[in-house]
Amino acid sequence: MPSKNSDAIDLQLAARLAANQTSRRRFIGGGAAAAAAVALGGSFLAACSSGNKSGTTSGPATPSDDGSPATGKLRISNWPLYMADGFVAAFQTATGLTVDYKEDFNDNEEWFAKNKEPLSRKQDIGADLVVPTQFMAARLIQLGWLNPIAEGRWTNKKNMRADLLNAAADSGRKFTAPYMSGMVGLAYNRAATGRDITKIDDLWDPAFKGKVSLLSDTQDGLGMIMLSQGNSPEKPTTETVQKAVDLIKGQKDKGQIRRFTGNDYANDLASGNVAIAQAYSGDVVQLQADNPDLKFVVPAAGGTWFVDTMTIPYTTQNLKAAEEWINYVYDRANYAKLIAHTQYVPVLSNMADELNKIDPKLAANPLINPPQSTQDNLKSWPALNDQQTQQFNTAYAAVTGA
Amino acid sequence: MILPALLYLGIFFVVPFFSLARTSLSSSGGSVYLPTLSFNWDFGNYVDAFSQYQDQIIRSFTYALAATALCLLLAFPLAYVIAFKAGRYKNLILGLVILPFFVTFLIRTIAWKTILADDGWVVSALGAVGLLPSEGRLLSTSWAVIGGLTYNWIIFMILPLYVSLEKIDPRLIEASKDLYSSNRRGFSKVILPLSMPGVLAGSLLVFIPASGDFINADYLGSTQTTMIGNVIQKQFLVVKDYPAAAALSMVLMAIILVGVLLYTRALGTEDLV
Repeated sequence: MPSKNSDAIDLQLAARLAANQTSRRRFIGGGAAAAAAVALGGSFLAACSSGNKSGTTSGPATPSDDGSPATGKLRISNWPLYMADGFVAAFQTATGLTVDYKEDFNDNEEWFAKNKEPLSRKQDIGADLVVPTQFMAARLIQLGWLNPIAEGRWTNKKNMRADLLNAAADSGRKFTAPYMSGMVGLAYNRAATGRDITKIDDLWDPAFKGKVSLLSDTQDGLGMIMLSQGNSPEKPTTETVQKAVDLIKGQKDKGQIRRFTGNDYANDLASGNVAIAQAYSGDVVQLQADNPDLKFVVPAAGGTWFVDTMTIPYTTQNLKAAEEWINYVYDRANYAKLIAHTQYVPVLSNMADELNKIDPKLAANPLINPPQSTQDNLKSWPALNDQQTQQFNTAYAAVTGA
Repeated sequence: MILPALLYLGIFFVVPFFSLARTSLSSSGGSVYLPTLSFNWDFGNYVDAFSQYQDQIIRSFTYALAATALCLLLAFPLAYVIAFKAGRYKNLILGLVILPFFVTFLIRTIAWKTILADDGWVVSALGAVGLLPSEGRLLSTSWAVIGGLTYNWIIFMILPLYVSLEKIDPRLIEASKDLYSSNRRGFSKVILPLSMPGVLAGSLLVFIPASGDFINADYLGSTQTTMIGNVIQKQFLVVKDYPAAAALSMVLMAIILVGVLLYTRALGTEDLV
């Protein structure tokens, strides 16, 4: 992590930097992705047709590397609005590669549901590099669907935060390169709540009946609830997960919870339909540009981290170019430009200098550079096995999808 | 001549239908992420689907029925006016009716979120005259979902009604007047029976897609207004329990089919169509 910094920060100024940027997580999510599939017709099927027109089985990407420079086209599939202006163009200029950058990654589980068939048959999915959340990347590793990232081409790997390098999901980071990390906590509209929100119990205040939204993602939604019950998402069990699900079900049946959202909670929060929402830190910084009443807080009992990772599917058509991209992102000066835009927590260490060059307010922002006390209060889910994932997803979906 | 149509039906309807039916009677095993479906007449999927999600099933059909009735009430006078009273403005009004549907379904539904927002003027206006539902808001209520369904599907009621009303020979109406029928009697004895094919077609075109809809419940509803379409979507894309999702789809289809048969029979339009 960047150096400790506990100063009270002018969030609004940082927010102004991000003015008029729309967060990726507010863009569209959950059912909306499927809705978009309905509305846009076959666009989701485009994965089958773009690039590799034949859609036939491509040969395995060669693990041997002849050391020659990357050439040709690189197809990237990333979350919406997760990119800085001019970044792709600068990469193209620096490397001579052509980048086909698509913001078509909207939801981990839905992405998986749509791409698992071609991946299981080793058919091109129309992307050479995708950015799933860590738990999904761990699943892809287990299934053997990722290419290792060659250390020889990823010389900037040394810039990675040590805690991320040794993460259980991919120890030593052979297959995944973290892209952004962020906090999952509570966002609230101070004008609507009339008071500060500090803990999970505040969500169940009858004054906010029908004004609360929770995340439908199993890990992001349940983690902080489990913490509030004295259980840790670091060691989830069937009982602790079910206990959190039961609490949410009770509140849902009472009409306390207005919606289960994907990344689309932000509009409801900004427009005042929702007073308190489970939220991602970077979004809130960006939303504050329009609405200074919005606050982000890690609940007293704790919140969770999320980490989105760059991965190279084993069906990639341009392995070297994908590695070149990862290495480029891992350059601190380049990465600072991304952080200035997304407002999430850097996955590279010692970013303060480069961030200061862009704007000193960035490094001083506790949502970009969380103080140690906040970090101590943030937990991560471990890599879950198949049965656990399925069991937890099913338990939570019985509440969110019914 | 009929061969292309038969081929089309065979490839795009019969095959997927049997595949769905087969999935609904299978049980999944093997790896969690790449389950293998084995077909073994597992009717338990249906029992589970019905017992677990009967609330959502009932709610879906209640909403769809309400939306169909609302569509009929709103569309009939409009179609009547276009067919009989609009004169040279007929095409203009028809154009205006169709115009909003040039905008995609998704955008129109999301637009309603803005219109019905808690802090919006619609809510404050209704609140001022004491017409808000018990929740104290419009968005994220059953009313918003039914309203959204009505709005999104009403065109499929207006057009068939207009076509069947427009086809009515004006001389029949004149004849009824010559026989001293009042306007009301003329309407109920001549116009309404002759417009029945339109009523039937419109009702089916609204009711069937509305029962399976999940976009309106997703955007305009709350956690209390989930429809069966939302459950199926979640089962297919998040839980990935394909047999359960397929069984739910089959149940939905069966109920719609029975409903449609009863409705067609009750209206007795076979001779008219």
